[in-house]
Amino acid sequence: MHATIQKPVEEIVKHIKPGEKVFVVGCNNCAWKCHSGGEDETKAMSERLEKRGIEISGYTVPGPQGMSLCKLDHTTKVLKTEYDEQLKNTDSFLVLGCGQGVHTVIDATDGGMVHPGCDTIFGGETVSESEINEYCSLCGECIIEFTGGLCPLTLCAKSLLNGPCGGAENGKCEVDADRNCGWIMIYDRLMKLGRLDLIESYQKPKNHAKWSRPRSLKVSHHKASFSSMAGTVTVSNID
Amino acid sequence: MKLSELFDKSEFVVTGEVGPVKGAIPRDKDYVPPCMAEALHLEKKVHAINVTDNQSAVMKLGSMAASVKLKQNGFEPIYQITCRDRNRIALQSEILTAFSLGVDNMLLLTGDHTNLGDHIEAKPVFDLDSVQLVKIAADLQKGKDMVGNDLLNAPDFFIGAVVNPNFQPLDLQLIKMKKKIEAGAQFFQTQAVYEDSVIDQFVAKTELFDCPVQLGVVVLKNPAMGKYMNNYISGISVPQKWINEIGSVDKADRKKKSAEMMGRFIRKHKDKFQGVHIMPLGWTDIVPDILEYAEINVNGGIK
Ligand code: SF4
Ligand code: SF4
Repeated sequence: MHATIQKPVEEIVKHIKPGEKVFVVGCNNCAWKCHSGGEDETKAMSERLEKRGIEISGYTVPGPQGMSLCKLDHTTKVLKTEYDEQLKNTDSFLVLGCGQGVHTVIDATDGGMVHPGCDTIFGGETVSESEINEYCSLCGECIIEFTGGLCPLTLCAKSLLNGPCGGAENGKCEVDADRNCGWIMIYDRLMKLGRLDLIESYQKPKNHAKWSRPRSLKVSHHKASFSSMAGTVTVSNID
Repeated sequence: MKLSELFDKSEFVVTGEVGPVKGAIPRDKDYVPPCMAEALHLEKKVHAINVTDNQSAVMKLGSMAASVKLKQNGFEPIYQITCRDRNRIALQSEILTAFSLGVDNMLLLTGDHTNLGDHIEAKPVFDLDSVQLVKIAADLQKGKDMVGNDLLNAPDFFIGAVVNPNFQPLDLQLIKMKKKIEAGAQFFQTQAVYEDSVIDQFVAKTELFDCPVQLGVVVLKNPAMGKYMNNYISGISVPQKWINEIGSVDKADRKKKSAEMMGRFIRKHKDKFQGVHIMPLGWTDIVPDILEYAEINVNGGIK
């Protein structure tokens, strides 16, 4: 999921011009889990903005719980059919969701003016209702086969691939004493699994071309094609 | 001169360290930059001098400029280069440049994280890690860049790397040390060590690695510095008894005391290593005394 956190309301307000009519859009999936743009927060944001003198033309969180704002066909349908009238009276959209959601609103409104209401902070695992942690940096070429499934690009502050720097102390990273050293976590895990051999061999430098942006994915029932600066890779999903 | 010439003759290799200034070198030809002034204390006392690369992620004059300046003045620099601030193109290019400007010894490191320095909003690069950098440096010497393109004239320099004997679990640190050797590292300098037991464990486990290692020591100047290193410098721990001992004399006598303490420690352990790397953090003037206490004579040394 994409973790997001709301921008401070005073910062949001600064970017809204006097007289601008704003429609607030939330997301019923990731932003709902992050309490940054679910039903409650979207309604609350509309009220908070009104309290600060901003004219709200409407608000919505498209779809049932679990529905992503970034699913363009659904968001388009909801905005265009259910909110047609309000949209005619709207100058801009405040989006409480991730950057993908912001773009979805642009697409769904034929290029409408948008304001990002959140900072998109990382892709994470929802480990509990109150905690989301980052375990993957979406690099485009997964190398965690040799680390027992723990990502050194993400869990090591320096993204080192061939073992730890010299900086860890008491199992903690040199960058932050509250954070575990990713390489010690990898070592401990592989030790338990009896697979320390996995980290003994040389790991070549990362192919950053696969981490280039923007990237795209074309999918069908039987194949998928991933395009990046490294070229297009197509794989079969069925054989 | 490549330090391999000394290691090959089983000489005990002594190196010091200077840090470039935070600032520029003026046009005035008579100006002596601080790192040169420091180096002058090491004249004929050490074989070579490390030049740090934006150490602790604090932005300074480049290590290449200072290395070349030392070389031009007859000193043997060990050019430090970290993965923190340069991508793979810049790293390879800098290595070629350093060699072309006369640098014979390079120490290839990961580098402290930007978060520890004075530009904490900087983008940390870490495009390569130190093992990859060592391998790529070795490939450059074979006349190829890392993607296999031919080089016109291969560089020829001695490849150094670092290891931290204080690291727990040590075995994990040694997996990386072994990888560095396999990748092409030709000598090591250790992170600063202050504890006898740390040295003994490290030596016992690396004896068979067949690669020269210099014991690293950081000159302890006063008790506050010991506490500071314990709290803020990653990967170093200073035992209380060191802090007490340096605190047992008045400020005016600290340099003398420090030289005695560092020298005593090096003397005790020098036989277990192929050299010593002294990091004086500005107190280069006491390095000659440290070496005297340590009963080390570099035999004239390099200038
Ligand atoms: S290697 Fe890349 S894809 Fe795999 S977990 Fe790490 S960042 Fe994610
Ligand atoms: S201390 Fe560990 S997690 Fe932190 S940068 Fe070094 S190896 Fe990576």
